[in-house]
Amino acid sequence: MCLGIPMQVTAVHGFIAHCEAKGVTRDVSLFLMQEEPVAPGDFIMVHVGYAIQKMTPQEARSAWELYDEMLGLGKEAPQGA
Amino acid sequence: MSADAKTWLERIHRLPLRERVRVMNVCGGHERSITMAGLRGALPANIELIPGPGCPVCVCPEEDVYEAIQLALNEDLILVAFGDMLRVPVNVKKADIRSLEQAKAAGADIRPIASPAEAARIARDNPERPVVFFAAGFETTTAPVAALLAEGTPDNLLLLLSGRLTWPAVAMLLDSEQPGFEALIAPGHVATIMGPEEWQFVVDDHGLPAAVAGFTPVSLLAALYSVLRQHLEGRRFLDNCYPELVRPGGNVAARRVLAQTMDVASATWRGVGSIPDSGFVLNADFRHQDVHQHLPRYRDDARKRAGEMPPGCDCARVVLGKIYPNECKIYGKACTPRTPIGPCMVSDEGACRIWWAGGIREAISPGRYTVPAE
Repeated sequence: MCLGIPMQVTAVHGFIAHCEAKGVTRDVSLFLMQEEPVAPGDFIMVHVGYAIQKMTPQEARSAWELYDEMLGLGKEAPQGA
Repeated sequence: MSADAKTWLERIHRLPLRERVRVMNVCGGHERSITMAGLRGALPANIELIPGPGCPVCVCPEEDVYEAIQLALNEDLILVAFGDMLRVPVNVKKADIRSLEQAKAAGADIRPIASPAEAARIARDNPERPVVFFAAGFETTTAPVAALLAEGTPDNLLLLLSGRLTWPAVAMLLDSEQPGFEALIAPGHVATIMGPEEWQFVVDDHGLPAAVAGFTPVSLLAALYSVLRQHLEGRRFLDNCYPELVRPGGNVAARRVLAQTMDVASATWRGVGSIPDSGFVLNADFRHQDVHQHLPRYRDDARKRAGEMPPGCDCARVVLGKIYPNECKIYGKACTPRTPIGPCMVSDEGACRIWWAGGIREAISPGRYTVPAE
């Protein structure tokens, strides 16, 4: 439950951000980001459908490299639960 | 492994560290990265990385899982839970239904979800039926549950809340006679939500080195180097090796919604018992959404082994870092991801499942890793 998935925001409507990562799109809640405005283009760490923090593109990339490595090794996707 | 990770490894190898140092992590995500990157094999033999209480599914009270199963079987409702919870077995007679997965197969309306927002959507789509959200998780998962409540939910959405705080389990271990570790790697996303300050007690009250880490091998090795160096030099401080996400004070909005919707109370951990200040409970403003206010309590604490780990399963000692997964005598024999006996083999964050996914097939006798501390 702790891993989290980095995603890039493509659009923001109120507390909902449309996000994309590796061709997958998701609606993510921004309810926990009220102290830190999120805009299209930003990268966010998503945990069980909620953004918990903003991150830089480099950080998002290194997190994704880790997941790619795990997916290759363990054949098991990191779960969002 | 990246060049940066190799540099950290070299630095660790250059440390003049002769005695055994056991470093505990308390996050399934950390354990997964450590195992999948093969960090244990790349480190000097006297450095042990111990997976500790980092799996919320593993410690979710057996009584709560039992209650969720009985609610789903006996009441006309929809029960939603994170997917990991569905295969967790409870202790019942052989012919009885022992998991949410089996209850679902028997006709109960049980739906796995990946986000609290899905629980609200299912409740809105089914206004005529109660929807019970069985919410187990640590701070990173409980904060989104709090957000869901704070944002406003349909009246028919009820909670069976099994949220837990991570640090009190570490405090309990450190207060015990044999904590079993000399340094701590603190969980990155728990600290993102709650702030790194929560872990200051490890340094201040117990004199142990501590560092918050992220999930890449680089961040984990940087944190490991920090605690080993602190250990060597006799300096102690709480290091933050995940500053990109972990900020002082944590996520202010997350802490606010947690305080707005929940209180903290003593709570039981499966196979461990009660730990002070370790459980989230709905506060007075949100208690009307507690399932116990509306539906009978389906508890049967007279059941044999109620609250315990399954028979023959050593998950309780695995969770507390007392033994490695493959020191359990049923690891890889009776207990595999295909036919899990204990929750540590069920959950993606359970140390047994992670070690199995990492290719560790060999069972070992207890104590094999243990070399005398100097």
